[in-house]
Amino acid sequence: MTDLALRRPVGSGTGTVSGPRRRLIGLVVALAVLLGLLVASMMIGSTAIAPTVVWDALFHPSNDIDQFAIRDFRLPRTIVGLVVGTALGVSGALIQALTRNPLADAGILGLNAGASFAVTVAVGLLGVRDIQGYMWFAFAGALIVTLMVLVLGSNRRGQSPVMMVLAGLCVGSVLSGAGSALELTNPDAFDAMRSWNAGSIVSRPLDMLWPTLPFFAIALLLAFAVSGPLNAMALGDELAVAQGVRLVRTRILAIIALTLLAGGATAIAGPISFVGLMVPHVARWIVGPDQRWIFAYSALLAPILLLASDILGRVVMRPGEIPVGIVTSFVGAPVLIALVRQKKASGL
Amino acid sequence: MTTTPLRGRGAALTAAILSSALVLTACGSDGDSGDNAAGRSDETHTVKAGNGDIKVPAAPQRVVTIGNTDLPFIDMGGKPVGVTGVDESELSLLPEGQRATFEKATELGDEVDLEKVASLKPDLIMVQIPDAEFQKIEDQLGAIAPTVFWGLDTEWKALAEAIAEAGNLEDALDRQKADYEGRVAEMKQTYSDVIENTRFVNLDRYANSDPGTFVIADIGCVEIAQDDIGLNFPKAAAGADPLAYTSLPFEQIAELSEYDVITYPADAEGQPTEVFAPVVQTNTWKELSTVQSGNALGVFCPGNNSYGSVLRYLDSLDTALATLPAEQ
Repeated sequence: MTDLALRRPVGSGTGTVSGPRRRLIGLVVALAVLLGLLVASMMIGSTAIAPTVVWDALFHPSNDIDQFAIRDFRLPRTIVGLVVGTALGVSGALIQALTRNPLADAGILGLNAGASFAVTVAVGLLGVRDIQGYMWFAFAGALIVTLMVLVLGSNRRGQSPVMMVLAGLCVGSVLSGAGSALELTNPDAFDAMRSWNAGSIVSRPLDMLWPTLPFFAIALLLAFAVSGPLNAMALGDELAVAQGVRLVRTRILAIIALTLLAGGATAIAGPISFVGLMVPHVARWIVGPDQRWIFAYSALLAPILLLASDILGRVVMRPGEIPVGIVTSFVGAPVLIALVRQKKASGL
Repeated sequence: MTTTPLRGRGAALTAAILSSALVLTACGSDGDSGDNAAGRSDETHTVKAGNGDIKVPAAPQRVVTIGNTDLPFIDMGGKPVGVTGVDESELSLLPEGQRATFEKATELGDEVDLEKVASLKPDLIMVQIPDAEFQKIEDQLGAIAPTVFWGLDTEWKALAEAIAEAGNLEDALDRQKADYEGRVAEMKQTYSDVIENTRFVNLDRYANSDPGTFVIADIGCVEIAQDDIGLNFPKAAAGADPLAYTSLPFEQIAELSEYDVITYPADAEGQPTEVFAPVVQTNTWKELSTVQSGNALGVFCPGNNSYGSVLRYLDSLDTALATLPAEQ
């Protein structure tokens, strides 16, 4: 926890009187940028398609072959990018608030390792071949590992963030090793994991996305519901209890929310690094330590980063593409370093 | 030029061979390796291989094949005593008799156990693996039996000639070559108009292709259609990587309408292969004018490194070309 977090009041009414207005304006600007990127994502690709065709593909559908390219490929990846980005951003903010660790992301609780291991088992031992098949294994793997981490990271007094992180790292390491062993002995699993681990939102049909939306919706509601109590918990458990926060319930709800969000996003797109780590930092720099604003900004900034990276990945190697997971690392790392070197720190 | 594929066994092979090499070096030093290398047949002759001029038995009886030499050797009627691992997907493409021959041989696995090779008491070892890997085991293999090696850049016809010469299968090779050359000449004549006036494109997907991607494949069986039959397929610029190295997103399918005929990988029954099926399932594919006019042809490619498998490819290509509306 840093001075920044301690200096400011938490809970309701953070910031100055003009603060909320500025934050609201910022939120509207972010929303406008996101809408612009949604349009750009439909317009830009490896094939040059006229804007009028894009418009017709969405609002006057016909059997024109370019319209199919829009509806079958660009529209699904745009919607998947929006959902996955939002999920990664909010889950990253949640996990950093919960563990009070500014370096935390889904990987730190073993979630990515659990999802990856489950996919490796599905491909290597059960012969699952398509992404739709992987998805539910990845989701289940993420859920099971998070449950394990929750149990291992608990003691008689409840959950300890430090113990949970340690448990997550341990479980994650074991599963990563087991998964690697399986991949090295099974060429099919190796091939599948090479592609899955890159992180991509390509070729994820909307049919695959729809069943996960209720989970994401519930998780987002839970995340915003615990954002207030997490503000209080940033001051320490004792002070949070004194303010009436129920620690165990808050942590469990937060863990459920972040597992559904990060687990679902990873299940759909594979592990995409830096989004869940970097975006909450940027949000914190903009709005300060109030988790409610951080969550709201993360929900918009993360899909902005993801969609911008995906669009970049489509154009830099035309006619080929670079998976979005690789682009977010290339884009995210320098941006994060540049921000870290600015005047503000971003502790919790 | 048609090159012989590695089949992705190289890395695993190296690891295993290296692990066995130490043991085998010790074994080799116990006895007189010169006796082993002398061969067991009464007559010998010298063949030119990638590792120099090698004296081999004139009629080898116990042949071990390592790397990409097994299927061409079996294709010409050879009966190896030991073979390295072949994926089930490749085995399933073999004719029944060849598969039985393969399965009768002692499988040395992807991870070749040199002690197991020695225990088979071969009188000839044929190898096609990456040069660097061969250099690590050349002495150990040479201590077991005369070893002939060819690099991966050896063209498939040259490899077949060399294997036939070393393995005493030249008569079988001559018959296969005659069949092949006759078939090529016949197809050139039958499809002379198509060869002259048709723009083809050959598509593929690989087991390790990223989801939502395909390639314009200019390597593999299509090289035979292009180089030997003369069909007009797109080709990479001189000195550039093959087109097949660039994965294209599915939305590029819409661009394929500029070609007259599309060929894609199919199984022996002409159905799209499991790996390629996602392409033909897209609406964009179904709406392509080339597809709707019946000019998208599934072609079966059982392999491109032996005359037998290439002849089966030509059969499939011939059957497919005969269905073109222009040919009917």
